[in-house]
Amino acid sequence: MNLLLAALIAVEDPTQTHHWLLPETAEIIYGGLASVIVFAGLFKFAGPMVKKSMKARTEKIQKELDGAASARSKSETDATDIRRALGDIEAERKKILAEAETQATAILADGRARLIKEVAELEAKAATDLAAARGRSGEELRGEIGRLSSAATSVAVAASLNDRAQQDLIESFIKSVGASK
Amino acid sequence: MSDARIEAYSRALFEVAQAEGNLAIVEDELFRMARAVESNEQLRATLTDATIPADRRQQVVEKLLGGKASNTSVQLVSLIVGAGRGRDLPAIVDRLVQRASSEQQREVAEVRSAVALSDDQTKRLAEALSKSTGRKLNLKVVVDPSVLGGLVATVGDEVIDDTVRTRLEQIKTRI
Repeated sequence: MNLLLAALIAVEDPTQTHHWLLPETAEIIYGGLASVIVFAGLFKFAGPMVKKSMKARTEKIQKELDGAASARSKSETDATDIRRALGDIEAERKKILAEAETQATAILADGRARLIKEVAELEAKAATDLAAARGRSGEELRGEIGRLSSAATSVAVAASLNDRAQQDLIESFIKSVGASK
Repeated sequence: MSDARIEAYSRALFEVAQAEGNLAIVEDELFRMARAVESNEQLRATLTDATIPADRRQQVVEKLLGGKASNTSVQLVSLIVGAGRGRDLPAIVDRLVQRASSEQQREVAEVRSAVALSDDQTKRLAEALSKSTGRKLNLKVVVDPSVLGGLVATVGDEVIDDTVRTRLEQIKTRI
């Protein structure tokens, strides 16, 4: 190496380059070796880290891809469920409407029947009340006639009860009691 | 008034009348007086009014019965009214009449009439009722204008009613 360097120094002018673009051969060799060493070092020491990092990144991306696929699958499932639910809701709505219609019809029919029955009962009650009122008026009239007749009879009888009549009644009582044994 | 007190007063009246030897007259007079007190609200109010002094009430009794009843009857009624037992006079007298009748082994027969009965009618009526009930009776006649006419006799639980009032009631019910 020293010999080579000495030879180079001897034949070459250290202030002059032999080409304006290309480096000197030695520089290429040194540079190349240095680069090899650097790349070897990098490959040896940084390679596993890079490899690990790349693997982790790959795994992360894969995981994200898997997550996205899963999310998509779930979304599709949800979308399917929603579509089915929408279908169910529509069916349920139709069912509820049908039931409501049935119930409304039944309530109307029931209410109509009840009203008809109540009207009939009211008519019957009114007829009964009317008959009772007629009867009561008749009874009141008969009662009044009876009361007046009774009062008139009492007055007439009391007026006719002279001493003779009183004595006749007493004698009649004595006779009837005496004959009753 | 309690039954015991009514009983005590009636027993006292009975003993006095019996001791005086005019039980039949006294019980008859007291019976009439009791019925008069029952039927006359004003008389009853006067004889039972605690605000009227006892001697004033007794004066009313003596004035009312004086000359119309025996002295014994007047004194006995005066005693009851003076003791403030005028309200119980009918009950006391009724018990006295029952006691007197029991003493004679008779039953009280109360007859109500619109007019007074003659002695003959009373006698015949007593006989008729005795014959009808089969019991010896102590007949008491009460003049009660509310019966209007006819007679109603009560012997114990038995009632024989042939009054005009009852007949009118029956007619009224029928009408």
